[in-house]
Amino acid sequence: MAQAALVNRHMPVVWRVAFRMLRDREEAEDVTQETFLRAWKMLPDWEDRAKFSTWACTVAINLCRDRLKKKKPVLMDELPEQADAALHPEQALSQKQASDRINTLVDALPDRQKAALSLCAFEGLGNIEAAEAMGVSIEALESLLARARRKLRLELAGESGA
Amino acid sequence: MMMTDERLLDLIGAYGAEPLAWPEEERAAAEAHLAAHPDRFATALDAARALDLAFAQAELAGVPDSLAARILNDAPKPRPSGAGWAGRLHDMIFPNGLRWPAGATAAALAMGLMAGVYSAPATADDGYQAASEELVYGALGYDGLETYAEEVSG
Repeated sequence: MAQAALVNRHMPVVWRVAFRMLRDREEAEDVTQETFLRAWKMLPDWEDRAKFSTWACTVAINLCRDRLKKKKPVLMDELPEQADAALHPEQALSQKQASDRINTLVDALPDRQKAALSLCAFEGLGNIEAAEAMGVSIEALESLLARARRKLRLELAGESGA
Repeated sequence: MMMTDERLLDLIGAYGAEPLAWPEEERAAAEAHLAAHPDRFATALDAARALDLAFAQAELAGVPDSLAARILNDAPKPRPSGAGWAGRLHDMIFPNGLRWPAGATAAALAMGLMAGVYSAPATADDGYQAASEELVYGALGYDGLETYAEEVSG
C-alpha cells in the first residue's frame, strides 16, 4: 500500500528531527502525527509541491518551533565561547556516556542550529534540501552549521581539557 | 568550479570531514584541492573528524512502535470494493452526498445513465486511486509501484 510505504520511508526521519528539537517523546509523536495528517490532506493537490521529504521536514520543524515558542518565549542564550583545544572526546568516554554527552550538548544549541545539524549531520539531507526545509538560504544554513559545530567542538574540548 | 583554501575550510567547518557530506556541486573541486594541498587542511580535518565521530556515537531513542499504525489510521481510506453496482453508481453521481434540489435533479438522470455507467470498464474512483498511488510513489522517488517493489524485494 502506497500510504504505508510513504510512512515507512519518511516517518522515522520526521520523528527523529522532531525528537531532537523537542526532546520530548510524546510531543515528537504529536508533531509527527500532525505532519502526516497534513500530508494526507495535501495529497490530492500534491503536483507542484516540493519533494515529500523536504515538505515533511519543513512542516515538522515549523510545528516544533511553534511548540518551543510556547515553552520558552525568551530565546535560549547561546552557549559561551571557549578557547579552542585538542579534541578527543571518544577516548575518555564509553559509548553510552559519549552518546549522552553529545546529545546533551546538541540539545543545548539554539533551535535553528539544532535543526540544521539534525537535518544535515544526523539525517544526511543535502544542503539544498535542508535549506529549503528550514526556509533559509544555503549561506544561512552553512552559517548555522558552522556555528553549531564550532560550539560543540569547543564544549567537548573544554570537557576533555578539564 | 574554482575552489579556494577559504572555501574548503568553510565546507569542512560546516559539513564535517567526510566529502560525501559536502555539497554535491562543489565536492569534486574540493576533493581535488584537498588532494593537492593536504597539509593545509590536516588540522581542520582532524577537528571535524573528531566531531563526526561524536555524532556517530549519538544514539537516539527508537521510533515508537505504534506511531506508524496511528498515522496510517488517520490516512484516507480507499472505498470498499464490494459496495455493489448501486453504491458505485450512487457515489459517481453524488460524490459529495445526496443534496436537494441538485440531488433530485441528478437522481432523475440516474435511471438513464445506469446501464452505460455500470458497463464501463473503469470508474473515476479507480482513476483517482491510481493517480494518488502514482503521486505517493513519485514522492518516494520511484516511477511507480513496480519500481518500488523491485527495490524493496532487492
